[in-house]
Amino acid sequence: MADVVLKNVQKSFGRVKIIHGVDLDIRDGEFVVFVGPSGCGKSTLLRLIAGLEDITAGELFIDGERVNDLVPAKRGIAMVFQSYALYPHMNVYDNMAFGLELAKSSKAQIDAKVREAARMLQIDNLLDRKPRQLSGGQRQRVAIGRAIVRDPKVFLFDEPLSNLDAALRVQTRIEIAKLHSDTRATMIYVTHDQVEAMTLADRIVVLNGGRIEQVGTPLDLYHRPANLFVAGFIGSPQMNLIACEVAGVGPDEVLVSLPSGGTLSVPVAPETLQPGEAVTLGVRPDHVRVSPQGSLTGRVELVEELGENHLLYVDMGQGRRLTIREPGDARHEAGSTIALEIDRTSCHLFKASGEALPSRAGSPRPAPSSPDLTRVA
Amino acid sequence: MKLLARTGFWLLVIVIAFFALFPFYYAIISSFRTGSALFSVAYWPETFDLSNYFAVFERQPFGRNILNSIIVSGSVVVLSLALGITAAYAFGRIAFRGRSLMLMTILAVSMFPQVAVLAGMFELIRSFGLYNTLPGLILANLMLTLPFTIWVLTTFMRELPKEIEEAAFVDGATPWIVVRRVFLPLMAPAAVTTGLLAFIVSWNEFLFALTFTLTNERRTVPPAIALMSGSTAYELPWGTIMAGSVIVTIPIIVLVLVFQRKIVAGLTAGAVKG
Amino acid sequence: MIMSSAVAQAGVSAQHQARGRSSSLTRSRVRAAWLFIAPSLIVVTLIAGWPLARTIWFSFTDASLNDLSDYKFIGLENYLANYDGEWFGILIEPDWWHSVWNTLWFTVVSVSLETVLGIVVALILNAAFPGRGLMRAVILIPWAIPTIVSAKMWSWMLHDQFGVINDLLLRLGLIAAPVTWTANADTALWAAVMVDVWKHTSFMALLILAALQMLPQDIYEAAKVDGVSPVRVFFRVTLPLIKPALLVAVIFRSLDALRVFDLIYVLTSNSKDTASMSVYARQQLVDFQEVGLGSAASTLIFLIIALVVVITLAAGRVRLGEDPR
Ligand SMILES: Nc1ncnc2c1ncn2[C@@H]1O[C@H](COP(=O)(O)OP(=O)(O)OP(=O)(O)O)[C@@H](O)[C@H]1O
Ligand SMILES: [Mg+2]
Repeated sequence: MADVVLKNVQKSFGRVKIIHGVDLDIRDGEFVVFVGPSGCGKSTLLRLIAGLEDITAGELFIDGERVNDLVPAKRGIAMVFQSYALYPHMNVYDNMAFGLELAKSSKAQIDAKVREAARMLQIDNLLDRKPRQLSGGQRQRVAIGRAIVRDPKVFLFDEPLSNLDAALRVQTRIEIAKLHSDTRATMIYVTHDQVEAMTLADRIVVLNGGRIEQVGTPLDLYHRPANLFVAGFIGSPQMNLIACEVAGVGPDEVLVSLPSGGTLSVPVAPETLQPGEAVTLGVRPDHVRVSPQGSLTGRVELVEELGENHLLYVDMGQGRRLTIREPGDARHEAGSTIALEIDRTSCHLFKASGEALPSRAGSPRPAPSSPDLTRVA
Repeated sequence: MKLLARTGFWLLVIVIAFFALFPFYYAIISSFRTGSALFSVAYWPETFDLSNYFAVFERQPFGRNILNSIIVSGSVVVLSLALGITAAYAFGRIAFRGRSLMLMTILAVSMFPQVAVLAGMFELIRSFGLYNTLPGLILANLMLTLPFTIWVLTTFMRELPKEIEEAAFVDGATPWIVVRRVFLPLMAPAAVTTGLLAFIVSWNEFLFALTFTLTNERRTVPPAIALMSGSTAYELPWGTIMAGSVIVTIPIIVLVLVFQRKIVAGLTAGAVKG
Repeated sequence: MIMSSAVAQAGVSAQHQARGRSSSLTRSRVRAAWLFIAPSLIVVTLIAGWPLARTIWFSFTDASLNDLSDYKFIGLENYLANYDGEWFGILIEPDWWHSVWNTLWFTVVSVSLETVLGIVVALILNAAFPGRGLMRAVILIPWAIPTIVSAKMWSWMLHDQFGVINDLLLRLGLIAAPVTWTANADTALWAAVMVDVWKHTSFMALLILAALQMLPQDIYEAAKVDGVSPVRVFFRVTLPLIKPALLVAVIFRSLDALRVFDLIYVLTSNSKDTASMSVYARQQLVDFQEVGLGSAASTLIFLIIALVVVITLAAGRVRLGEDPR
């Protein structure tokens, strides 16, 4: 069990800087998930922690020890790769035993550990098979088993489930969660999948362009995105972002004039905001309602039925589009004109710099229906 | 029209196969003919006389020559692969300063004309006391096989997935263990391919074998066949030469038939990917 | 054996490094890389670099084969020297230039023929027909047969009195009297070309075949749909696409042909008129024991081939050492 501390960690490949100074404090036993757009450096950061890449500048501590100059095997980590990376010429047993054998464990000890891990992962009947005789899901279990037998202080996962089909992904995800609750080991997990991130993580780290945008619990990120990037990245469908202008400021609210006319009072601290400044209003699709009393009107462009809820894509004029999610089946057809109402207490307001203004609405209300967090590519 | 095209196609196939095989066929039927029978041309096997095959072993130490060839080629293959695989791991998978330059040099060495090193090699072999010995030939032949072995194995090594190597490092393997326990088994097919090519090159080598050996007992097969002479200086013992040729060619043909795919893979890996 | 224990040692110390405290993976891998290439580097330096350097050095001396330790430096005299107004040296030696000419002629003619025939064979092998695998093996056989053996087989077939080729040509009425193929300088080089083509067309064909098989199939289907004639497709689509591979194959073959030795040595029995550069150099070195002159010739051959290699590499046709790991 160990904490992982990154102090201004940087990484360059040749002259190109990929990681621009990351500070991160991962507590003992915590499950941390790295998310971010493709190419933002998630894998690179994970590989820096693993020791598969050299840290260009900064310091990395695992369990209080500075490990910058240690080879992966000395860091007390284990890693599960997206491609499984099993040794093709060894059977399942030997795949799991290889690390222990190199660590000069006794035969009996190796055998006990391998069999226990195999039992835990329900692959004990596959021990004699070669990796090519296994299905994708079984391969991934072997890869996880290989990590478990090392008794690592920190587990590292790089998109371990992305090669699996949807059903297997859910099942293996649950098993990883169980593994975490059983072992209480620190786990760092890279994924593209928001559901994985939201369900597995104690805390999520949102990366963008080699920098941390925000670190927080899943609900923190969902309800209190620190900036426009996180607001747009977390949540599916994406938060509606509307360019507005400040019309007036109160002590605990900001009045914004909407592009389609009308104003909206958003309960956020105005800080140094002045009337006339450009801001971005953010509102999740769940917080816009179709309502005859609504002050906004638009024309439904497209309806997507999802069963438990439905999405309306509404043209608000001048090419601006709003996404709305309503429970149940759609009651409006494409082409019809509807009136809309924005739940002002659930709105976010972002300064021109992209930073969010602190909310004054008290604790956020839960979303009307559970957000459908589908995978974003 | 279509029929014509198909006929033409098969005709071409037959012509090519005939052109490729006829000399060998002719060598075989000639090897079964002796004495004055050889002084007339025959297109079909008429006699089945094995006396040339006995003669080739009686008139010179041909068995010894074959054994020499096997020892030299076998050692060259083993040494080339042992040196080549470790070097290929370094060249194929590790970024270090000077790598490209060294790899380029090694490629250049594989294109050296043999004769360019002949004088220096002669001196080297003599100074090691290896003149007219098999180790001398092994050393000389390494110059022909080691560079391309490294080159071909490097191209194969590059294709192995990097995650497997990384998983091994996480498991606590050192680079040496990665080569020995992880990559060596995975490289086995590539090693067979490269080893076959090295074997064929060494088995067929002539210039070094001719220059660095003196006595018939130390010769490998190619100079032994080239220097076969008959009872008179003017008449070459064609029957025996053909018998010897057939004997040393058959194992090669078997190799080619069995390992055809692997040999082709090696040839094209060395050239096309390069 | 020396080398394998060096490798083992490299392994041991690499292992040692990994256990050391302050050694990142990258550093330990780079260290291992040097240990891993060291044995090969030593061997290559010893058996290629050093002999080459010695050969070049000998070319500036009057060394003789029976005592290689007794020689003196004579500068460029092996190449070109002037005594009393008369010029000596290999650079004005007609035999040398004759061998250069022979080699170039042999290279150009045989590689051209091999290229054209190689394309034909490759196109045939690229078509799906029963027995294609066997056919591929069949054309590999001439390539695998030792050159000496091929040369002997063909010598026998080309024998002026008892050879099957003369017999065949006489029966077909193509020649009136037997031809002395290998003894006559004019026909001997043609004979060498024929054997070389027989032996190496398959190499060419296989390289071209590999390139053909990497071509995307949809262009051909598109061309078929558009009703383009196969000949046009070949010259407009196939040939430009396989050109890089073809170039590599031609270069490989040319470098090989430029150093031709075995074939000409055996087929044309060491004759001066048909000697290739390598045959000439070895004759000076071994038969005449003139290590100085022979080395000068060897050095020139090396320079000629090196020039070809450098031009090729500079032309960027051969990609090198990109993107490791
Ligand atoms: N060895 C390397 N050399 C040079 N650049 C690299 C190397 N490895 C990664 N990069 C670059 O670093 C950036 C981050 O790569 P990384 O693999 O960490 O992204 P990622 O966030 O994991 O993306 P994905 O979600 O697609 O896996 C990319 O722009 C990539 O091109
Ligand atoms: Mg990644």
